[in-house]
Amino acid sequence: MKKGGYAVPNVLSRVLLGFQGRKLARCIESELAENFLSLLLKAMGVAFFLLRDFRKNIVDFEGKYFFKSRDNGITVAAVFKDGEMTVKDTALKDPDVTVTFKDAAKLRDFLLAPKQDILGSMLRQDITINGNLNYLYKFAYMAKHLQLMVTGKA
Amino acid sequence: MSARDLSIPAITLKDIRLGDYTLNTLPLLGRLKENLLREKSSVCIERARYVTEYLKNTPDQESPETRYASAVHFFLSHKKPLFFDDNLLAGTTCAKPFGAPVYPELTGMTIWPELDTISTREKNPILLSDEDAATLNFEIFPYWMERNILETTRKKHGNPKCMQLFERIVFFIASKAGCISHTVPDYSTVLSKGIESIIRTAAEEEKRPATRKLPELDQQIAFYRAVRIAMEGVIAYAGNLRKEALRLSENEMNPEKKENLRKMAQVLEQVPAKPARTFREAVNAVWLIQIAIHAENINMAISPGRLDQVLYPYYRQDMENGRLRLEEAMELVGCLWLKLNDNTNLVPETAEELFGGAGTVPAVTVGGVDEQGSDAVNDLTYIMLRVTELLKTRDPSLNARYHYEKNTASYRNRVAEVITGTRSAPAFLNDVAIVKTLEGQGVSTAHARDYAIIGCVEPGVPGKSYDASSSIMLNLVSAVELALNNGKRPVTGDEQIGPVSGDPASFKRFEDFWGAFTTQLTWLMTEAVALNNLFGATYREIMPSPLLSAFFDMEGPMKKGQDLIFGGAHYNSSGATHIGFADTVDSLNAIEKAVFVDKKVAFPELLSALADNFRGHETLHAWLLHKTPKFGTDDPVAAKNARNLIEFLHHFYQGRTNYRGGRYKAGFWTMTNHAGQGKMSGALPNGRKAYEVFASGITPVSQAAGDLARCFRAIAELPGQCIANGEAVNFKYPSIMNEQEIETMAAAVEAYFRYGGRHVQFNIMSYEDLIQAREHPEQYPDLLVRVSGYSAYFKDLNDAMKEEIITRTAYDVKTGKAVPFPEKHKTMLPFE
Repeated sequence: MKKGGYAVPNVLSRVLLGFQGRKLARCIESELAENFLSLLLKAMGVAFFLLRDFRKNIVDFEGKYFFKSRDNGITVAAVFKDGEMTVKDTALKDPDVTVTFKDAAKLRDFLLAPKQDILGSMLRQDITINGNLNYLYKFAYMAKHLQLMVTGKA
Repeated sequence: MSARDLSIPAITLKDIRLGDYTLNTLPLLGRLKENLLREKSSVCIERARYVTEYLKNTPDQESPETRYASAVHFFLSHKKPLFFDDNLLAGTTCAKPFGAPVYPELTGMTIWPELDTISTREKNPILLSDEDAATLNFEIFPYWMERNILETTRKKHGNPKCMQLFERIVFFIASKAGCISHTVPDYSTVLSKGIESIIRTAAEEEKRPATRKLPELDQQIAFYRAVRIAMEGVIAYAGNLRKEALRLSENEMNPEKKENLRKMAQVLEQVPAKPARTFREAVNAVWLIQIAIHAENINMAISPGRLDQVLYPYYRQDMENGRLRLEEAMELVGCLWLKLNDNTNLVPETAEELFGGAGTVPAVTVGGVDEQGSDAVNDLTYIMLRVTELLKTRDPSLNARYHYEKNTASYRNRVAEVITGTRSAPAFLNDVAIVKTLEGQGVSTAHARDYAIIGCVEPGVPGKSYDASSSIMLNLVSAVELALNNGKRPVTGDEQIGPVSGDPASFKRFEDFWGAFTTQLTWLMTEAVALNNLFGATYREIMPSPLLSAFFDMEGPMKKGQDLIFGGAHYNSSGATHIGFADTVDSLNAIEKAVFVDKKVAFPELLSALADNFRGHETLHAWLLHKTPKFGTDDPVAAKNARNLIEFLHHFYQGRTNYRGGRYKAGFWTMTNHAGQGKMSGALPNGRKAYEVFASGITPVSQAAGDLARCFRAIAELPGQCIANGEAVNFKYPSIMNEQEIETMAAAVEAYFRYGGRHVQFNIMSYEDLIQAREHPEQYPDLLVRVSGYSAYFKDLNDAMKEEIITRTAYDVKTGKAVPFPEKHKTMLPFE
């Protein structure tokens, strides 16, 4: 256990998380990124379920996120409430933040590139944000932390 | 203590160079400097944790002033009393030896995504423990998600257009999302009266019979109460420091350290609660007040001001009484300089890459004239110059005022010599021109003569003017691009961003293009001003500044019973600064000459060349580069366009009122934004290629002005009265070899000032030196460079900024002619 930080997953959790994690890790390393968002949210869901310390991120947290590709080919809503995350592939009313991405690869790079380039992605219009930026910062932190966990770096 | 007794000579030093004093004869300073350079920066969450804890647990029922003052008090009274080294001054900004404090109310939240990686990131990593990262993630940041300045403003105003534009970053930056600092407080009053006196005044005012009307009465009472609460926090911190110094002193075995701790405890028994009696007490009080101000306000350009004037009475008295030796005075000044380096900014990695390398820019100003217009240079001025020369630290940003009719040539030459010694600091400022500019803004002559520099180059009156000088940073080139593309910009694609200002192909005269350009500029400035005013209103509600207000002139906030953020200062203004001035002027020149005068090219072809980044348009590119007028030469078209642009900006801003009832002012200094914004802008009509850096400040484009005398004249002849928010003029000399060359440099500055020039700063470095430093940073760990109003370690700058400093025109000090740029590195130039 890292002092003050997250617990390293125990063996069982690591195995269970490993399945989703490996898929996510492969997606991060691959040229193909179409499934990135759904893989990320699935891995996040598994991690919230299995890892108490990771779940702490969403205890008492309420937030509505709406992700959509610029061509509307992908629309995903993630709602955090009562310590749980619900994912739907429909639009969402009054999201706290809407993230519109050029394509899935850009979203992946935005969230999980070795050097997270939130500002750069916005400047290049790869990603446009509408709403409260702090919600996005929190999500980006959770995604990054998950990435580090599944790759054994956290 | 009176500032000056004219019967006593202000200069008693036998050698104004103080050449006998070195880091060998002042070994404490040498050791402390080594420590500073060795220390890695660490994120410090101490302030964020206490302020958040207090606000979380306190019902939101009080006035904003008292609530925030109580949070600051809570922090200061719990702040750890720490003594990291043998510095003679007590107090630390952070709980880390070299800390980057988190201000979650402002831009602190931007590091949230980096909590796991900030310690190891490539550019300027900042250490963060797992424990502190967890505290930020679980306890501090969640509280501020809906409450920081940016999101409170967004929520209240429904994500207005001006905010969306700001978040594109490529048009303007509204700095108020990140700070409301950038000011020079009044240290003289608090040194002479002590904080207890301020508390007494506040308590009396709070209870004063109500001759005032509601709701002002309620607000005034709340303000005085808030001042008292915040000031008591400062005293509590000093008290805790004193106790800790005594405790450590009792346990210390080293007699020298023991004595230093004992002396610090004695100092803390007196200041800042009571008036300073000695030089040491005064210097430590200045430092403690600086810490206190940062407990409330972000560490951005809170500038100590004219310390050679503020501290001189204490110095003189101690020297006359034999209580102080010269080397002790130098050590104390040096300790203050090193303390001012104990904190840095906290920014996310992308911001480091685009805009990074800046310190916290606490500007110190020396020299010039006093309020009566007499030569104000004194022994302490020379001590501060010598300490700066010896330490060569990033902060404080030193500024030397020079009045060519009142100050001596020996002072002028000494400043030039220090610039040669440090290779970058201080900057030179022209008292005659700047006093006149301030008078033009309604500042009284006596107050104007007492000006000090805020942050980079902006003149303000210590404790009297609240200038918020970095409120807006506007990219002028964005208006050129919007005008060229009828309201669109290459970087933002096909989106109609600005107003439709006409298809340039339909323009018959240069004035038509000027009209389109000013239409876009007016629209951008209107949006920027609107956003700044919205942010100002938010500050009033959630983050007023009673502590800083109490360190202003007693005739200001303390007399009016009004916080600075509500307009309590004697003089109120907001500053806008402009990025890409020379590139914009040269682009206007190129359009006027190439499209309308010589009809060398029509707009469609020019736009096509710009879109292609001049690929396939090499002949046109060469013509634009070499045959169109350049700012910094004596070309009348360039002079006209530069003047017209400055006057246009000035008149626009002067017609706008800020949320405190003051006017906006235009300036031309760019920090590192000219590099970052350049990297996001397309090719320009002046021949600059796409995504290359812009010229800095108000400096001509690199390599465009081949003769320094003409260049100085071109800048000096700009309407200084219209540049009330300061300007940065950056030049390079490859080397200054001897006293004669130092004098030549100093004389050139004087000639420039007599023409009307207002500011100039130098890097004494050749192109080759800087290229070598870029290629081998490990060999140049403490190479200081002047950026655009402040100093930075060259190694800390982003690549674009390094490139800009390397390519800045270097002039031969003997001939004043531009030194040719090394052939094999020419691809580095923004137009190659």
